Amino acid sequence: MKTFSIHPFETPFDPALVRAEIRAFLEENLDPATRCVNSWAAPDRAFTQALGAHGFIGMIWPAGYGGGGRHPLERYIVLEELLAARAPVGLHWIADRQSGPLLLRYGTEEQRQRFLPQMAKGELYACIGMSEPGAGSDLASVRTRGERDGDGWRINGQKLWTTNAHNAQIMIALVRTHTGEKRQEGLTQFLIELDSPGVAVRPIIDLVGGHDFNEVFLEDVYVPDAMRVGPEGAGWSQVTAELSLERSGPERYLSSYGLLVELIEYNKNAKDDALEELIGRFVAELWGLRQMSMSTAAKLASGDDPALEAAVVKDLGNAFEQELPRLVQGMLPQTAHTDDGALTAMLSTLLLVSPSFSLRGGTREILRSIIARGLGLR
Amino acid sequence: MSDNRKLLLDMGERLFADLREQREVEDVWPVLREAGLQHLFRPESADGFGGDWGDGVALLHLSGLYPVNAPLAEILAATWLEETAGFARSDEIAVLAGSAHGKLDGGRFTGEVMAVPVAEGVSRVIAAADGSLVRLDLAAAAKTAEGRNLAGDKHLRLTFESVPAEAKATGEDAIAWGALARTAQIAGALDGVLKLSIDYANERQQFGRPIAKFQSVQQSLALLAEEAAAANCVAQAAAQAADHGDATLECACAKLRAGKAAAIGVEIGHQVHGAIGFTKEHALHDYTRRLAAWRSEFGNERYWGARIGKWAAERGGEALWSGLAERSDRIGKAS
Repeated sequence: MKTFSIHPFETPFDPALVRAEIRAFLEENLDPATRCVNSWAAPDRAFTQALGAHGFIGMIWPAGYGGGGRHPLERYIVLEELLAARAPVGLHWIADRQSGPLLLRYGTEEQRQRFLPQMAKGELYACIGMSEPGAGSDLASVRTRGERDGDGWRINGQKLWTTNAHNAQIMIALVRTHTGEKRQEGLTQFLIELDSPGVAVRPIIDLVGGHDFNEVFLEDVYVPDAMRVGPEGAGWSQVTAELSLERSGPERYLSSYGLLVELIEYNKNAKDDALEELIGRFVAELWGLRQMSMSTAAKLASGDDPALEAAVVKDLGNAFEQELPRLVQGMLPQTAHTDDGALTAMLSTLLLVSPSFSLRGGTREILRSIIARGLGLR
Repeated sequence: MSDNRKLLLDMGERLFADLREQREVEDVWPVLREAGLQHLFRPESADGFGGDWGDGVALLHLSGLYPVNAPLAEILAATWLEETAGFARSDEIAVLAGSAHGKLDGGRFTGEVMAVPVAEGVSRVIAAADGSLVRLDLAAAAKTAEGRNLAGDKHLRLTFESVPAEAKATGEDAIAWGALARTAQIAGALDGVLKLSIDYANERQQFGRPIAKFQSVQQSLALLAEEAAAANCVAQAAAQAADHGDATLECACAKLRAGKAAAIGVEIGHQVHGAIGFTKEHALHDYTRRLAAWRSEFGNERYWGARIGKWAAERGGEALWSGLAERSDRIGKAS
């Protein structure tokens, strides 16, 4: 038994050139005032549009759909550079990571032509309609129903914790179209335009006072059959196929990275040996997670589906994102918490926000039960 | 995987499997020596295997997985240093010492060399001291004290008094190669603990079903698998770096991470096994005693944390990322 075989991050291009390209863009376009921790949840229309205009959204999609036709690992490098720079990339993140690739894989030609070029430009944003009041970790219990209506569908139900729904124009929703023997059967994905009659988006304010997620009510919403994504009943397999993409990216371990940067800067003056050693431990963890994430990205790029590795990256990565603020808080004198400054502000934000890191995109418990299944325990 | 590596691993696995019942280093090491494993890093032109660290880490992983009782990590790290630091090649076998302190004066060494494993035919020790790398004859020690590490392996503490020493001015980071070798063994041993623990959890019945069916046990084993995966990943990643030039930082990060994984692995392995895993008879402690020892050897988390922290402080926060990126970009670049 070997629990992890590294897949070499071999690139048919010079990675340093891609870094130089995105760093030059950041130098020109990133307003330092907009940098923040957890920046892949931060929407910024101007920045997203600038990224789109420079070909950094939909980088790996075919040119015919407005994409850049570039190598998946070029995109990986761009993403990690954006996150390391704490650039606000939340507005288009879901479209670029998930909805676009989903349409490329399962969508119709018409859907691709209509939506992908707009997404790549940084003009069209997406959200994912999966969770519901009764369907969180137990996603197969979704109850939002779709019923045939002429040459389309009538959709009724409620989605919950829908990140970005208040900014997005479209939602990819998982809908029950048939009550099968098994709960995973009879689920279908639809592309719902959020300005359709019967759609209501209501904000949910998080404990920091931020507005990331929403509840989305669907009341007799008419969706043409042309907006069905993939075959009827294929929703479950389509949704689970996205998970490796969703779980192994650099956003799963870099959400708190800005705090490490500030901590090193802080210690230039504080010169605390214990803090320096703790920084060393953080860097080691960061380095290790980056190797795991890069290896998993390289495996994905080669056409494999490393679902287990992706679950490992996310669970360990989230633990690091949460451990960073927790351990830093325990090390700093109380004055460091009340003084003004970037370190204080970041620490305060992360202490409050970081509990969500091991909830979004699959809870810690769900990830571990997936790994346990991989080990043959269930 | 190269064809050569496959041959090496097939041979290693056969040897290690045959030695499974042998617990004493006296019975194990002569067989490995006969097979020539100490020549892994020697160039083929000098009748060696011509191996790189990718090969070394893969072989050492196996040695941790079986596990074999032989100072293979110390010997491979020493031969690597002999080859790369420019010591004259000889038929004498050297081991890398866990630590040392002392003074070099006019080609003579006075000081103490610690954590020197014992094995038949090993006659020299390589140690980093006084900013240099020294190669010393074991027989030249004025005093030899014998002890055992947590794994039960014999370790010598040698006192040298003004003995002639070959010295090379590249001492500082020698311990990093020992750290890389240990990391690979930790990864192998954690894979071993995981396998034993899964098998046991599937077998052992309580409350009318295998304990593997309980979610709390599943969650523990999943975490153990994650830690084993992390140790394996960092060992292989540091080996890649080592095969592309300077890799002290990567070896440091890898050993630190693997040390943490070792501690968690020991804890979960024992917890899942219950009382039976605490017995002399059970094989679990062949892993857990070693993992406990290896976590301390060739730099523990505090040692490497301080060194990596210093590196980060010298770069500064804003340049940390580009520092990490530069170091990995040299590895994957298209040739």
